[in-house]
Amino acid sequence: MKQIYLVARRDYLAYVGAWGFWLSLITAPVLLTVLLFGPLLLARAEPPRVIVVLADSPADAALVWRTFDDEARSAARGEVAAYLNTTARGAETQALAAFDAAPRRRAAIAAAREAVRANAPQALGAFPNPSPRYVLVDPPAPDIEGLRPFLSGARELLVHGALRPLYGAVRIRRDAGAPSIEYWSVNLSRSEPSEIASRAMRRAMRREALAERGVDAAQSDALDALWPAVAQYDPRPSAPTGEVTLRQKAPFYAALLLTFVLWSVVFSVANMLLSGVIEEKSNKILDTLLTSVTPLEILIGKLLGVAAVSITLFSVWGLMGAGLVHLAGERASDGVIGQIGAAFLEPRLLVAFGLGFLTGYLLYGAIFLALGSLCESVQEAQTLLGPVALVLAMPMMLIAPAIDNPNAPIIVGASWFPLFTPFLLLVRAPSGA
Amino acid sequence: MQIALEAEGLAKNYGAREAVQNLSFQAPQGSICGVLGPNGAGKSTTLRMLVGVLKPSAGRVTMFGGPLTREVLKRVGFLPEERGLYRNMSARGAIAYLARLKGVSAGKAFKRADALLESHGLGPVRRKRIKTLSKGMAQKVQVLAAIAHEPDLIIFDEPFSGLDPVNQRALEETIRAQAVAGRTILFSTHVMEHAERLCDRIVLIAQGKKAFEGSTQEALALAPSAALLETDGDYDLAAALGPRGFVITDDGAEAGHRRWRAKLEGPNASRRLLAACVEAQAPLSLFEPARASLHEAFVALVGDRAAHLE
Repeated sequence: MKQIYLVARRDYLAYVGAWGFWLSLITAPVLLTVLLFGPLLLARAEPPRVIVVLADSPADAALVWRTFDDEARSAARGEVAAYLNTTARGAETQALAAFDAAPRRRAAIAAAREAVRANAPQALGAFPNPSPRYVLVDPPAPDIEGLRPFLSGARELLVHGALRPLYGAVRIRRDAGAPSIEYWSVNLSRSEPSEIASRAMRRAMRREALAERGVDAAQSDALDALWPAVAQYDPRPSAPTGEVTLRQKAPFYAALLLTFVLWSVVFSVANMLLSGVIEEKSNKILDTLLTSVTPLEILIGKLLGVAAVSITLFSVWGLMGAGLVHLAGERASDGVIGQIGAAFLEPRLLVAFGLGFLTGYLLYGAIFLALGSLCESVQEAQTLLGPVALVLAMPMMLIAPAIDNPNAPIIVGASWFPLFTPFLLLVRAPSGA
Repeated sequence: MQIALEAEGLAKNYGAREAVQNLSFQAPQGSICGVLGPNGAGKSTTLRMLVGVLKPSAGRVTMFGGPLTREVLKRVGFLPEERGLYRNMSARGAIAYLARLKGVSAGKAFKRADALLESHGLGPVRRKRIKTLSKGMAQKVQVLAAIAHEPDLIIFDEPFSGLDPVNQRALEETIRAQAVAGRTILFSTHVMEHAERLCDRIVLIAQGKKAFEGSTQEALALAPSAALLETDGDYDLAAALGPRGFVITDDGAEAGHRRWRAKLEGPNASRRLLAACVEAQAPLSLFEPARASLHEAFVALVGDRAAHLE
C-alpha cells in the first residue's frame, strides 16, 4: 500500500506542481464560456445588416418594412423577457407591459428599462439593449441591375452617416396580381430576409383573400394576432404539480454542461496517464521502479495519482462556479440563480457525474495506459491515438439527440456500450423517473 | 563463506533466440564481483533477471539464502543500464523518493540524500532539477539513489559508461567504500580494466553462456603468459630455442636488434626460458615477462571472435 501511495503522490505532485496545470485549470472554464457564449456575443457585435426592398406595389414595400420592424421588436421583447425571467421575475410583467405599450422598438426597450429601474434596480446592470438584425433603407437604384455593384460589394451605401455594404435585396413582383419574391444576396447560405418577406406577403395575400369575403385589413390582422396560451407539465410522479418551471428545466442544462466537463476532464486526465507512462519509458525509469514496485502497484498508483489531480480540478472549478453563482445571485431576484445553482447539486446528477467519472476514467485511463505501454515515444502514441480520439468523440455526437429524446432507442442502445455509458448516463440522468 | 547471491541455471529466451543459457554463479557476501563480457553477451539480461525485472525462462535466483521476494529486494540497490530519473524532480527528491520506495522513512530518506550528495560533491546542486544537471551529474545522482537505502547487495549494470575518467575513478572509490562497509557488489562491464582494479571475483560471459567463474587471480592465470626478448645482431632466437620446445615468434627488428615474443606455458616458464637463453648463449639485451590481462584471459577462454562480438 505504501508503494502505491508513494507512486500516486509523486504523480499527483508532478502534475499539480507544473505551472501548465494551473494555467489550463484557469483557462479551461474560460474557454468553455467563450465556446458557449462566444458565437452569441459575436452575433450581437455584428452591426445590423442592410437590406433594400424593391416592390411593384408601394403597399407591398410598406408591409415588408413593417414586418421587418415587427420581427426586430419581437426579438427585442424575447431577449428582454428571457433576461428578466432569469434575473428579476417579479419585474417581468410590468416591464413587458411597458414594452408592449410603447409605439416603436427603441422606445419599447427604454420603457421596459425604466420599469426595471423602478421595480428591480439590481437587475439593471446587464439589462439588454438589443440591436435589430436588419436595417432597411431606400434602394439606391430602381432595379436589380442598378443594385448589382452594391450587392457585389463594389460599392457601399451611406447608412446613418457611415458607409455600409448592402447585405441583400428583396424584390417583390406582382404578376397577374399574385405576389412573388426574389431574394438577391451574395450570402448564399442564409436566406432569412426572404423568409421575413415571405411572411409579409403571406399576410398581404391573406388580407386580400379575406377582403374578397368582406373582412377588412384590421380584422384580418386581428385574426393573425390570435395565439393560444401554452403550458408545459411534467407527468412523472416525482415532479411537482403545476406548470414546468425553470427549476425543473435547469437540471437538463446542468447535465449538458456537466457532460462537457466530464468529457473534457476524462480526455485530459487519460492523456496525462498516457504521457506519464511514456515519460517513464523514454526516461528509462521503469527498470529502477520495478525493483521496488510491482507493475500492478505502478498502475494503481498512477490511476490514483491522476484521479487526485481530477478531484483537484473539480474542486477548484466547483469553487469557482459556486463563487460565480453567489455573485450572480446577489444581482438577481427571486432566487433564480440559486435555483440554477441548485440544479448542479441534485443528487441524481451528482451520483451520475461521480459514477460517470469513475467508470469513464477507469475505462479510458486503462485504454490510454495500455497505449502508453505499447509506445516508446509521444510520436508513436499519437499515431495510435487517432482511432481512440474518434471513439471518444462519438458520445459527444450523441448528446444533442440524447437531450432531444433521452429515451430514443438509439440513445438507450448506445448507453449500454461501455465507451459511451459514462457520458450518456449523465446526460440522461435528469429524465429518469 | 556466506553467499549473498546465487544464480542457478538461469536462462532467458526471446522467441527462438537464447539470450542467456544455463548460467550459474555465486557472489560471496562482502565481495566485489564483476560480470564481464562484450556488448550483447547477455550481461544486462542476467542482471535484470537477478533483480526480478525480467522473469527467467528457466533457473532460479537465491538472495541471502532465500528466494527472490519483495522483502528481499528491499535489501538490494540496482542501477540499470538504461537509466534515467524523473526530469522535473530535484536531485535530493529523486534519491529520497527511490529510498522511500525501498521502505526508508521520509525523514531518513531526505537526510541520507543530503548526506550522500554532500559527500559526493553534489551538495550545491541538491535542490536543482535533474533536467538541469549534466549527464555525468545525473548519473552520479542515480548511483547515489541506488545506495541511499543502504542495501546489503548492490547491483550496477555498466556503471562506468557515460562517465569521464575522473568520475569513473570516483565511482570506483564509491564501490570500494561500499565493499569496505560490508556490502556485496555485483557489477557488469565490458571494460576489463575496471574489473581488474576492483573485483575479487569475476564471471565471464560470452554469447549468453558462462565462460569462467572464479577469482580475478584465477582468471589472470588462464591468460597465456608471454615474454618479450631482444637479441643483438642477427641472432635467430627462434631457431636456437625452438628445438628445446619453446614457441618463439619474430616481433620485428630495430637498429641492430631483433625482437622476439615467447609463449610461456607451464610452471616456472619464464625461469626455464631464461635458463635456455643462457644455455644457448643468446646475446640477450632485453628479457621482460609480459603482464597478463583479463582481456587476454577472456580471449583465451572464448576465442577472439566471441570476445569482441557486438
